[in-house]
Amino acid sequence: MIFASRRALSICIAIALCVLLQAGIRSFSDYVHTLIMLAGLYVTLAVSLNLINGITGQFSIGHAAFYQVGAYTAGVLAAKVHPAVSQLIWYVPLAMILSAVAAAIAGFVVGLPSLRLKGDYLAIVTMGFGQIISIIARNQEALGKAYGISVNPKQQMIWLVWLLAVICIAVSRNLLKNVHGLTFLAVREDEVASSAMGVNVTRVKVTAFVLGSAFAGAAGALFAHGVGFVSPDAFAMDVSFIILTMVVLGGTGSITGSTIAAVLLFYIPEKMRDLTSMKVGMLLSIVIALVFVVAVVKRVLDHYHGTLLKKAGIIVGSILVGLAIISVLKKPLSSVPALGTIVEGSKMRMVVFAVTLVILMLLRPQGMFAQHEFSWRWLQSLLQRFKRKKVGVPA
Amino acid sequence: MDPRTLPQQIVNGVLLGTIYALIALGYTMVYGVLKLINFAHGEVFMLGAYGALFTSWMLGFGPEGTRTQSSPVVLLLMLLGAMTVCGLAAVIIERFGYRPLRNSPRIASLITAIGLSLLLQYGGQIFILNGSPQTIKAEANPYRGEIPISLRAGDKVALADAEKLQPGIEIARAAFVEQLKHEKSEFDLSPKGEAIKKVRDDLEQTYTDKVNKANEKAVNVLLPKGGLLMLGATLVIMACLWFLVKHTRKGRAMRAVSHDFQASSLMGVNVDSIVTFTFILGSVLAGAGAMMYATFLPGTKIDTFFGMAPGLKAFTAAVLGGIGNIPGAVLGGLLMGVAENLVVWAGYDNYRDAIAFVILIVVLLFRPGGILGSSKVEKV
Repeated sequence: MIFASRRALSICIAIALCVLLQAGIRSFSDYVHTLIMLAGLYVTLAVSLNLINGITGQFSIGHAAFYQVGAYTAGVLAAKVHPAVSQLIWYVPLAMILSAVAAAIAGFVVGLPSLRLKGDYLAIVTMGFGQIISIIARNQEALGKAYGISVNPKQQMIWLVWLLAVICIAVSRNLLKNVHGLTFLAVREDEVASSAMGVNVTRVKVTAFVLGSAFAGAAGALFAHGVGFVSPDAFAMDVSFIILTMVVLGGTGSITGSTIAAVLLFYIPEKMRDLTSMKVGMLLSIVIALVFVVAVVKRVLDHYHGTLLKKAGIIVGSILVGLAIISVLKKPLSSVPALGTIVEGSKMRMVVFAVTLVILMLLRPQGMFAQHEFSWRWLQSLLQRFKRKKVGVPA
Repeated sequence: MDPRTLPQQIVNGVLLGTIYALIALGYTMVYGVLKLINFAHGEVFMLGAYGALFTSWMLGFGPEGTRTQSSPVVLLLMLLGAMTVCGLAAVIIERFGYRPLRNSPRIASLITAIGLSLLLQYGGQIFILNGSPQTIKAEANPYRGEIPISLRAGDKVALADAEKLQPGIEIARAAFVEQLKHEKSEFDLSPKGEAIKKVRDDLEQTYTDKVNKANEKAVNVLLPKGGLLMLGATLVIMACLWFLVKHTRKGRAMRAVSHDFQASSLMGVNVDSIVTFTFILGSVLAGAGAMMYATFLPGTKIDTFFGMAPGLKAFTAAVLGGIGNIPGAVLGGLLMGVAENLVVWAGYDNYRDAIAFVILIVVLLFRPGGILGSSKVEKV
């Protein structure tokens, strides 16, 4: 009973939040609307890639391709249908579903042959498929070649975007909780053993690919209608890498992690567009300090056997030393003429992603959340522990 | 799809293929010892091209440089510059990027490799001032021009017939030059001058037409001198590599490590130093390839994304030949170069980058071991 009511509560809260979001941001500028929409799309993309990479244990780095298939499907559809039809209120949700189907077919086509491959080979093949799709889009007359196609009607359905994200999260979460999901986890842990236990490995992998790409395709359709324009540049290889970074940062396999990392990694680089420009010398001193701090922290995590407090002390100390290194080095380095030139803050977006990836792999390969999830029960136990401490009852 | 241009395209393909082979060797050797796809290898190639570019600038072929005469020494210095930069980059990448992760799951190393590759591409954009793509000046290459080779001569009778016009053309040209002395300018001729000019132009036109007609069936191949030098240098480098791997202590250690990582370390091989050595070797080869690519293929634009396409194609070449297999990488590289040019020859110029991925996918699906590799099935 409690279980059912909790679930009903979660669903209601999620839907209410989507509707409230749409109503609540009406007064903000177009820029903010686009940001919130894109954040929702990235959540969908990250969670759907997590389904493939995290839960099923495959390694796809071509997720942007399915996103692109969805967006172009919506674009071509919008050009084909009668304008009167596309003005109807249910047109965009319908286009979203059709795009999801198209992307799912693409996912099936990619997923089926790549079953034979594992790990890095699978990664390369998914990237190859992504590139082929992008090259085809760049060279087909019907797809607008390098210019892209404009999509009518331009309609930012923020409630739909976030609803899609919620559905994607719910599907992933429910998959983990029932017997079908167990087969996915089994394939991740050990393919041979799970196939010996009667799991149809082929089917599981293809299902994961099809589901993941369907969600990416739906997100693509909403992107196309939200921005009103699709061009090949919007789905370049960096987009795949950005999504991958989100999944890895959040913790491969953790839905909560993917969601939070998607929002964070989307928001922080957006903020960095307003970053003040700095001199190359300053940048160089930051790099030196970062290398130092990472090296110390890595060593502490791997080899130091002190108490937690001492460990934390050393880490904080190393960060302070890093800051000191920056402040000492930035003056003399910037005074070297070649290093005194100024770098625009907006160029640093992808560099931040790259550095995040490398540092994360060095220091915490399992990601922020590892495989932990947010749940009501966890919240409850946390509250209880907090209460006990307050009353003074020993735990 | 003109069959007469096919030999030329194959020649171009082989020349391009030698570069792919040089890069592919790096992928294959690193995969051999570490079982890791070094995603950042394409970016090492890019750094090599920059190394060659900056060396050429230092030697006086910069944007404001005035030197026009080059010599083999310049080329050699550029090669050394590129190789040094690549070797240093390899040491740094291996020491700080890959070595700390050697005992982690392979996916972790792969993600680090992707991260490093992105870092070099976009970080380079920040540090390379003046972000527009650069080219190495054509003057830096002392071996310009082409050697024409006739595979099938044209109609000899018709050619001889055309040659008979040659004395007449000479006379008309001389007459025109003579007439020019009495004219105000070349563009403002008197009626007499116009007439002489017309005769000369007509004769030249007839001659060209006749020669073209006679050569209609001729097949000519132009061998670029720089390309031949590139081919020769690559063959020498590969012979050195072959000797190194097959007949030296280091090479034996490399083969041992690639055969069995742990056993070789138990047998007293210093695995860390061998891995570093392999990285350096592969990267130095990529550096040599980058220098030759940027110098001998005219009009090559260097920017920080320069390494991506050749890197991916070379990776395909390594897989095609059988990853971990050194002769396979060379064979795969040559095949990739030819395949790419055949696509261009067939008229699908825009799809020349897609062919690499198509080949890659087909090879991985039907013969994952590659052409020369063993296609053993992984059981557990």
